[in-house]
Amino acid sequence: MNVRRSGTAAVAVVCLAVAAGCAKQDAGSSASSAAEALSADQVKVALVPGGPHPYFQPWKDAGAAEGQELGLADVTFNETAAWDQTKQNDVLSSLAAQGYNAFGIFGVSPENINSTFADLTDQGFQVASLASCPAGDTNEAAFCLATDVEVAAYRAAQAAIDAMGGSGALVHLTGNRVDSNTQRRIAGVEKAVEETDGAVELVQTVTDIDVDLQSAQRAVADLLAARGNDIDGIVTTAYNPAVAAAEGVKSAGLPTKVVAIDDDPSIISGIEDGSVAATVTQNPVGQATVGTYALAKLLEGCTMSEPGAVIDSGSFVVTSDNVETYDTEREAKTDELMTAFDDQYLSCS
Amino acid sequence: MKETREVDVQAETEPRKETEVDASDTRRRVRRRGVEEPPPGASPTPRLPWWANPRVGLVVVIAALVALFSSARPAFLDVDLTLVPLQRDISVFVVVGLAQLAVLSLGHMNLAVGRMAALSAFAAGLAYDRFDAPLVVGLVVALVVGAAIGAVAGAIITATGVNSFVVTLALDFGLLGVVALLYDRFAGGVAFSTRPPGMDELRSDTFFDYCIGPVCGPPVPLLLPFALVALVLVGLFFGRSRNGREVLMTGASLRAARLSGIPVGRRVVTAHALSGLLAGLAGFMLAMTNGAFSASIGDSFLLPSFLAPVLGGTLLAGGAVSALGTALGATLTSVIQKGLNLLQFEADALQIFIGVVLLVALSLDRVRQVLAERRGVRA
Repeated sequence: MNVRRSGTAAVAVVCLAVAAGCAKQDAGSSASSAAEALSADQVKVALVPGGPHPYFQPWKDAGAAEGQELGLADVTFNETAAWDQTKQNDVLSSLAAQGYNAFGIFGVSPENINSTFADLTDQGFQVASLASCPAGDTNEAAFCLATDVEVAAYRAAQAAIDAMGGSGALVHLTGNRVDSNTQRRIAGVEKAVEETDGAVELVQTVTDIDVDLQSAQRAVADLLAARGNDIDGIVTTAYNPAVAAAEGVKSAGLPTKVVAIDDDPSIISGIEDGSVAATVTQNPVGQATVGTYALAKLLEGCTMSEPGAVIDSGSFVVTSDNVETYDTEREAKTDELMTAFDDQYLSCS
Repeated sequence: MKETREVDVQAETEPRKETEVDASDTRRRVRRRGVEEPPPGASPTPRLPWWANPRVGLVVVIAALVALFSSARPAFLDVDLTLVPLQRDISVFVVVGLAQLAVLSLGHMNLAVGRMAALSAFAAGLAYDRFDAPLVVGLVVALVVGAAIGAVAGAIITATGVNSFVVTLALDFGLLGVVALLYDRFAGGVAFSTRPPGMDELRSDTFFDYCIGPVCGPPVPLLLPFALVALVLVGLFFGRSRNGREVLMTGASLRAARLSGIPVGRRVVTAHALSGLLAGLAGFMLAMTNGAFSASIGDSFLLPSFLAPVLGGTLLAGGAVSALGTALGATLTSVIQKGLNLLQFEADALQIFIGVVLLVALSLDRVRQVLAERRGVRA
């Protein structure tokens, strides 16, 4: 192949695009957005988290159970996105190519995910944003069912401040700094600290330690070694730091109060033995169950009465008082969400 | 020493007119001139058969995988859902591979390739957000910023004599913080929400959407020509331009290049600036594909940036590059990723299979070369 010829060809191709003679086809020609209603056995739901993470494991069974109950063709769970938006887009288009027509997605990067949602919606698929909402004020998915992370972080910080007796030095451990959800968690914790009027000081916010348990353990060990005696409380708003902080403080025998997130067995046992003051659990089972249900309904002909609605899936403060019963509370919230979708969010003819 | 000989041998096998874009023939040409009339008694370098060319091997492997995947999953040939997104991925990763190739030509590495892309994308995003710049101005800004930061890396390497690995690693860490701070300061978060006019078209349209009368273009994404132009220009730079050849000679032997009067310091800066420029282009393209200028752009560039050129026959040791091979290498990795996605492998199995397939591809390549060399020597 001659270089000059291929160069000319490339230039010609570019010219073709910008040439004044070009006319764009109607946007609607390739999209089948006005799809007709499907029956339950034509619905194939894919639940796609941003990558492997313990938080999403309940999605697998909860989605499959709901699919079976509704008689759906298939509910699959695909965690191969490896925390990379490009890979996640790739996974989604591959699933769509294989006939999946409804997607419950935890977007890797909340800043870009609306583009992904819009792409899928334009092609006639139903999309729900699960466990995380797009950054900003718009949501291109049919709905977003997620923990309100700022509220959850705020409640966690409040629980930590209570456990500290209302004053002292607090440290916040959290995840990926360049993620808008992390920014909102930081804002939630800062808000709770500000409300103490200076009685509690937020001495440090450690970010980027939710990659894996080892890096979180290392960060906690470093923190405790450097200033363990000066810290009265640790509030964590990400999974791995929570587990690491609970273990770290317990093994160092420090009086530091730890407020964790989610309900890893080590955290629950920490609450039972008193080494963890409290934890804020989320509702992954409810997200998968209600998400799958609503997606199926949307394909079966219902519409969202308020497209793009943002719905809080609930967060629950667990202390030694309610460690035995919090799951009932969570199931009640899931039932409540189900009813809310039927009565309020979905409009079915 | 051994590697250098191999490349010369491999270079000799390709017919002169076959791959002009392929820049690995710089020394080939230098050498061929000498070989045209070998001195009496000198044994001519053995010619290798056409199938020993790594590019041919890659084409065969890609064709075999496409056949395999599309027979296992007919959805592999779905235009809108598979082929168009696949081309978009390939376009970005070809440019990412070329960015690494630019410094591999020297035997250097650019570990900051992803972060240079992030910084460039930030600059473009800032231009759109604050100055309402048209689409093309943002692209130029991204290229200029990328080239500038690349040139800085090159200048530090030249001035201090510190290994490129160390310099770009340090730069990567530095830029990681800088990019996060810049987004925090100017975007009030981790991404710009502004979308310049034309961005949506560039990211989602294909030439099929544009028609002249009844004739519409092929289902090729609008981003692909960017990669094509970059590919041709990089090929021309290393294959045809004096500066490019001087870069390759610097990579082959720094001392020999210096003794031949090549301004090696300036060529190091040139190559790193080119790497930064291409990283900037890749950052811009990824921002287009993903739909936002965000701080996470470039996070996943590092490994693919090495994979594509190395699969394509570019030497880590420097002195020989193959632009066309890089394009094929990027295509191979994207095809594998896409195919395994369609086969719905579990996360861990997916990683293992990608590793295995790549290892097999690379080993086959090596086996082929060894076989060819033996045959060539016997002949």
